Amino acid sequence: MRLLRLREVKAFSQGHAASHQLGWNWTPHLSLSPKGLKILAASLSCCGCPTGKGMSWAQAILLARGLSRGWGGICSTALTGAPFSQVTPQAPRGLHCSTAAHQPDSPLVPRPPEPQRGLVKALAPHEELFRQAPDGVRDKASFVQAVQNFTQYNVHKRGHVDFIYLALRKMREYGVERDLAIYNLLLDIFPKEVFRPRNIFHSIFLHYPRQQECGIAVLEQMENHGVMPNKETEFLLTQIFGRKSYPMLKFVRMKLWFTRFKNINPFPVPRDLPQDPVDLARLALRHMEPDLSARVTVYQMPLSKDSTDATDPTEPHIIGIQSPDQQAALAHHDPARPIFIEGPFSLWLRDKCVYYHILRADLLPPEEREVEEIPEEWNLYYPMQLDLAYGRSSWDDYEFNIDEVEEGPVFAICMAGAHDQATLAKWIQGLQETNPTLARIPVVFRLSASSGELLASSSGLEEPPLTPPEGREEEENNQQRQQQSQS
Amino acid sequence: MALVHKLLNGTYILRKCPKPGVASCPFLSTRFADYCSSSLEKPVAAPGKAPSQRKTEGNLEGHHQREVALDITSPEDKPEVSFDKAIKEEIKDHFRRLKDDIVNHWIGPEGRPLHEVLMEQAKVVWQFRGKEDLDKWIVTSDKTIGGRSEVFLKMGRNNQSALLYGTLSSEAPQDGESGRSGYCAMISKIPTGPFERKRFYDWSQFNTLYLRVRGDGRPWMVNIREDTDIIQRKDQMYSYFMFTRGGPYWQEVKIPFSKFFFSNRGRIRDAQYKLLLDKISSIGFTLADKVDGPFFLEIDFIGVFTDPAHTEEFAYENSPELNPRLFK
Repeated sequence: MRLLRLREVKAFSQGHAASHQLGWNWTPHLSLSPKGLKILAASLSCCGCPTGKGMSWAQAILLARGLSRGWGGICSTALTGAPFSQVTPQAPRGLHCSTAAHQPDSPLVPRPPEPQRGLVKALAPHEELFRQAPDGVRDKASFVQAVQNFTQYNVHKRGHVDFIYLALRKMREYGVERDLAIYNLLLDIFPKEVFRPRNIFHSIFLHYPRQQECGIAVLEQMENHGVMPNKETEFLLTQIFGRKSYPMLKFVRMKLWFTRFKNINPFPVPRDLPQDPVDLARLALRHMEPDLSARVTVYQMPLSKDSTDATDPTEPHIIGIQSPDQQAALAHHDPARPIFIEGPFSLWLRDKCVYYHILRADLLPPEEREVEEIPEEWNLYYPMQLDLAYGRSSWDDYEFNIDEVEEGPVFAICMAGAHDQATLAKWIQGLQETNPTLARIPVVFRLSASSGELLASSSGLEEPPLTPPEGREEEENNQQRQQQSQS
Repeated sequence: MALVHKLLNGTYILRKCPKPGVASCPFLSTRFADYCSSSLEKPVAAPGKAPSQRKTEGNLEGHHQREVALDITSPEDKPEVSFDKAIKEEIKDHFRRLKDDIVNHWIGPEGRPLHEVLMEQAKVVWQFRGKEDLDKWIVTSDKTIGGRSEVFLKMGRNNQSALLYGTLSSEAPQDGESGRSGYCAMISKIPTGPFERKRFYDWSQFNTLYLRVRGDGRPWMVNIREDTDIIQRKDQMYSYFMFTRGGPYWQEVKIPFSKFFFSNRGRIRDAQYKLLLDKISSIGFTLADKVDGPFFLEIDFIGVFTDPAHTEEFAYENSPELNPRLFK
C-alpha cells in the first residue's frame, strides 16, 4: 500500500509537472470537502515544485499516509474517470499510470462485446500469428515462422499452453503433422526447468497440471500420427518436466509399444503412396496377388485428347495382373461355360481407396470336376507333389471340421480408371493377347455398385450368351463411388 | 476402442438366446454383464428367422430396444399371442435345457465324450452358415456416443459367410467430452446355459486363433474378453491386430494367444500378463483406423487350434522402467 501511495504521489507530481509544461492550469474538479481540497492544495504546492520550498521525502510520505483515505477516494473517482470527463481529455486519468498514451475510454470500464460480424468466428488467442497473406502458402516454413513469431513477441511466453494447443490444431492445415522436428519445436516453446518438481510435495501433487496435460497432448498427437519420438524429445521432456512426470511416462510407453508393434503388419503398405494412378494401381495389384510370379501388364496409359486438361482423361489407365497358374487355368477352361467380370470392389491402402475388377468363372459342379494326376515317374529329381502334414500319427488331426467356402477360380485382376463396360472390354482384348482361348469364351459383365461385397451368385443359371462379350449391367453409380472415395 | 461397452444398471434386459425363437426368461435379474446390456445400445443384427408361433417379444415383461425385424411372418401363419402359454413354454424350455445339462455332465464336458475333447486339436467355434449363426453376434458402432458410423451384418454370398459392412466416420460427436470418434465393432454374445446362467469357453488346450476372412485392406483389432463377473474385469480385454490383405482371395489369419496384450479401459496397461484360456467370454472385432469411408469384412468361420510349431508363452515382457514394483 505504501508503495502505491508513493507511486501515486510521484505520478501526481509528474502529472502536475506535465500539465505545467503543457501550460494550462489544471485543477481537478473533484467533489471533495473543502477541508480535503485545502489539504490537496497544500500537498500540491508542496510536492509539485522541485525548486520551491521542497519538502523532504519523509514528510511527503507522511502527508501521503495522512491523506490516504481521502486520497483513496480521489483515486477511485479518478480511476473511474467520471470527474475527469469534465476536464479536457489530456489530463492523466489513472494516477498510477504515468505514460502519455491515452485512450478515449478507460480500459477498466468493461467494453460491451462487439457485435459478431456475420460469419467471423471469435478467434482463439494467438490465432493472428497463423494468419497470413492471401498468397502465402501453408507449409513447414510458414508454420515455423509463426511459432518463432510467438516466441519473439512474448519473451515470457505468456499463454504458451493455449498457443501449443492452437498449433496442434493447425498442424494438419500446414501438412506437418508427421514431422518430428515440428513436434520438438513445439515442445521447445515450454519454459525449461520451471515445471520440474523440486521437493517431495511437488512430486506428490501434480506439479503444474495444465502444462503437463499440454505436454501429454503433444505426445498424443504424435502417437495418433505414428511419429516416433527421438532422443531430442526425451531431452526436452526431461528438461521441461523432469523424469518423474506424466509426459515422460508417456514417452517411455511410446518408446516401448511403438518398437513392439512396428513390424507386425504382414502386408506392409508404404507410408508415402505414389500419386501417379498407374503406379498406385501397380502397387495395389502386387499387394493383392499372393503369387509372386504374377506379371503386371499395363494395357493402356492414361491419355487425354485435350492436353491441357489432365483431370478428365478420355482414355483411362488399365492395368492388369495375371499369374502363370491363372493363365494355365484359363487355357483349360471349357469354352461352353461363361466367365464373369465382377466388380468394382474396394481396396484400401492406408487412407486411399482404389477399385478393382476380377475375371472369374463359376465353380464346377462336383461331378464335372476332374483331378489332374501327375504320373509319379515324370520327374526323377524331386517329387512333384509333396504332402507335408503336421500329424505325428493317426491321432493328430489339425483340420477343421467344416467345409470351407468354395468359390470359382479367379483368372485375372485389373484396375482401371473408369468402371464402365468399354474400358473393361479393352482389358479383355488386352488379355486375349496372352490368353488366346479367351476369344472363344463368352464373357458376362456383372458390375455392381453396392457396397463392395462380392455379388451373390444365382448359382450360375443365367443363360450364357454365345457372342462375346455381352454386357448386362446392374445399376451403376461409379461417379458417386469415386467421389466418395476421394472425399 | 473399449468405449463400446457401457453397463446399464437397473433395467430389465431382454436378450435373444442363441436358440432361435426363445425369448429370455422373465425372471432375469439385472446384474448382467455388459455384453447383455450392449444389446440395448444398438444391435443391428440381421433380421432373424420368423419366430415360432408362440410369442412376440412385446408380450413378455421388460422392454427391448432392438431394431431387429423379428416378426416377419407369413399372413396365414399368425403368431399366437398368449402370455400364459409363452411363459409356460419358456419354463419348459429352460427345464429341458437343465436336464440336458445334467445328462451331458455324465457323458463328458459339453456333452461330448472325454476322449474326443482331450484329443481335439482344431475346433470350429463360430461358423456362418445360416441366419441363426448371425444371432450370436452383436454389432455396435459409435452411434452410441453420438458419432456417425454405420455398420451392418448380414449373410454373405450363398449363405456361406457373414458380411460385416458399413461406413466409418471419424467426426467427433459434439457432446463436449469426446475428442475423437469413429469405431465399429462386432462382438459375440456370451454363451448361456439353462436359466440364463453364463457359460464360458474353455480353450486351454489350444494355442492359436484361426480366422478365415476376406477384407478390404483395413487393419482390424481382435479383442478377447474373459469372465466378466468381477466388476473390474468388464473393462479389461486382451487384444491384437488383424491385418487384412484385400483382394478376391480368402485369407487365413492365425493369431497365437501369446500375442494378445492386456488393456484396461481402452489403454494398454504397463504390467502385462498372458491371456488365460480357461474362461473366455467373448471375442470381438473392432475397426477404428481413423480413415473415413466404407468398409467390409467377410468372415467364413472362426476356430481355434493347436499350432505345434508355436512354443512362445507370452510375447511381452515387463520392463523395470515402467514397472519398478514388479522387479523389487
